[in-house]
Amino acid sequence: MSTNQPAPGAQPTSDAFAVDADNVVKSFGALKALDGVTLRVKTGEIYGLLGPNGAGKTTLIRAIVGLVAPDSGTVTVLGRRMPDLDILAQVGYMTQQAALYPDLSVEENLRFFAAISGAEGNVTEVLKTVELDQRRTSVVANLSGGLRQRCSLACALIHRPRLLLLDEPTVGVDPQLRVQFWEHFRKMAADGTTIIVSSHVMDEAERCQRLGLMRFGKLLAEGTPNEVRAQAGSNNLEEAFLRLSGRDTE
Amino acid sequence: MSGHRIGAITSRLLHQFRRDRRTLALLFVAPIVILGLLGYLIRGSASAPSVGIANQDQGPLGATIAGSLEGSSKISASTINASDGDAKLKDGSLVAYIVFPPDFSQQAQQGNIAPEVHLEGSQPGNQAPVMQALQDALASLAAASPSAVHFQPKLTFLYGGPGLDTLDYFGAAFIGLIVFFLVFVITIVSFLRERSQGTLERLMASPLRRGEIVVGYMLGFTLIALVQAAEVLIFSLAVLRVHNQGNVLLIFGLETLMVISAVNLGIFLSMFARTEFQAVQFIPLVIVPQVLLSGILFPVSSEPKPLQYLSDVLPLTYAVNGLRDVMLKGADLTWPSLQLDAGVVAGFCVLVIVAGIATLRRQVA
Repeated sequence: MSTNQPAPGAQPTSDAFAVDADNVVKSFGALKALDGVTLRVKTGEIYGLLGPNGAGKTTLIRAIVGLVAPDSGTVTVLGRRMPDLDILAQVGYMTQQAALYPDLSVEENLRFFAAISGAEGNVTEVLKTVELDQRRTSVVANLSGGLRQRCSLACALIHRPRLLLLDEPTVGVDPQLRVQFWEHFRKMAADGTTIIVSSHVMDEAERCQRLGLMRFGKLLAEGTPNEVRAQAGSNNLEEAFLRLSGRDTE
Repeated sequence: MSGHRIGAITSRLLHQFRRDRRTLALLFVAPIVILGLLGYLIRGSASAPSVGIANQDQGPLGATIAGSLEGSSKISASTINASDGDAKLKDGSLVAYIVFPPDFSQQAQQGNIAPEVHLEGSQPGNQAPVMQALQDALASLAAASPSAVHFQPKLTFLYGGPGLDTLDYFGAAFIGLIVFFLVFVITIVSFLRERSQGTLERLMASPLRRGEIVVGYMLGFTLIALVQAAEVLIFSLAVLRVHNQGNVLLIFGLETLMVISAVNLGIFLSMFARTEFQAVQFIPLVIVPQVLLSGILFPVSSEPKPLQYLSDVLPLTYAVNGLRDVMLKGADLTWPSLQLDAGVVAGFCVLVIVAGIATLRRQVA
């Protein structure tokens, strides 16, 4: 599949990092959404962004995908300085809400997103991956929230991205489906896909290889789940998270 | 620009239309209802205003004129007592009554013809047929007298003809206006929906270029709108029999330009609205002034001078003028006035396309 190959010149300058955000600052009026965030995510890693609502997780993900232009600092994705439209053909982005066309069927949605990334050949396979092949002709407006979320994930996977950005992908998803999602994510990471996932669900954090705790637009702490627990002196991730984020504010 | 990606957007829009019955109805049923209603309003036989006639004349003239008034098709005349007249105006059973005073014939002999006309007065539109019927009656009286001066101008028409009516005049403009308006509303709302349902964010996080999005949208909506324009045109010409002296393809060409400008104006303005409700607020802002000032209802040349300047910068003015020139005057592209009209509308298309692409921000915030 041609879309899986890096575009000429897209070879990462440093193969180790799929995403390299350096001291990114972004303000909306008086609000500092990102206050000097430096984030490096290795190729093939599952990186979890944790933090309460309004911590800046979505803004950071949007900055990585080029939807938010930083006031200062740089973002490099797969070796390309953002914004770069061509590298977006290798990035999958799943927004918080299931961004789909409600009056189109599951398959029509997928075909559309496939066509704009030049990946029409993958539709049938991706439908199987998210187990929606039985519902391919269902109109999205008639689907349940979980099925919609599955279709949304399928649209983000359709072009077999090398980097997958997932903004709270499992909000409103039942536990059974959540387990399925995470199985996909692990499989993809094993195949070399880098995944950044934002969440505020702690049991999801456990499944990430590395975590970043965000609050007030800053990356407060980073490390494997075990490292984070050790850093906070707590054996419970949720407590560790509260301690680490509280320490900085007081 | 990639034709493949543009085609993906266009075909997606067409798929969406196929499922959206309500929008399809708005696009294809509404114009027929509006135009059909307009046609019936203007061409359906109107009921003549009721006028009372009180003849107190002691001479013969009053009776003659009263008789000729009763025969008039412009009013529906009935005989009343002069003393009941005001009461009948008040209760609404008459819009006017005419009194021929006792000395009417006597006065007329001295060259002073003075019937009394009492009007209800709150509806200016009712005044004209009453006065016209009275003048016709007086004229027929004058013509009947032996020493009459016969007043008979010879009429020739440069355009149109004696059969041209209000529907022919409005129809030409409405064909364009309806298409422009409906396409504008549907584009602005569907582009906003793209924003509010989050799919625009997804498009922006894809390799799609902004120009590809705008052109894809333009093609999709233009295709649909052209079907609508053809429907409106066929209905107007074949069913309503709106007067047309020009080339049908030229009318269709002008409509195409209007469609393209409506689509792109919709895309452009959708950038300035956050919700569908805010988008709807653009209708009185964009559409109403254009309807009032583009010469659809009132000829631009009859407007006060400052408003004429405003009319001169509205693209719809040129579109309406062009459509009227083609349909009523049989203008073709060798006419400088039509070249100007078509040129201005085409220029406006280019302007809104560029504006749409320029304001479509990749950044969501």
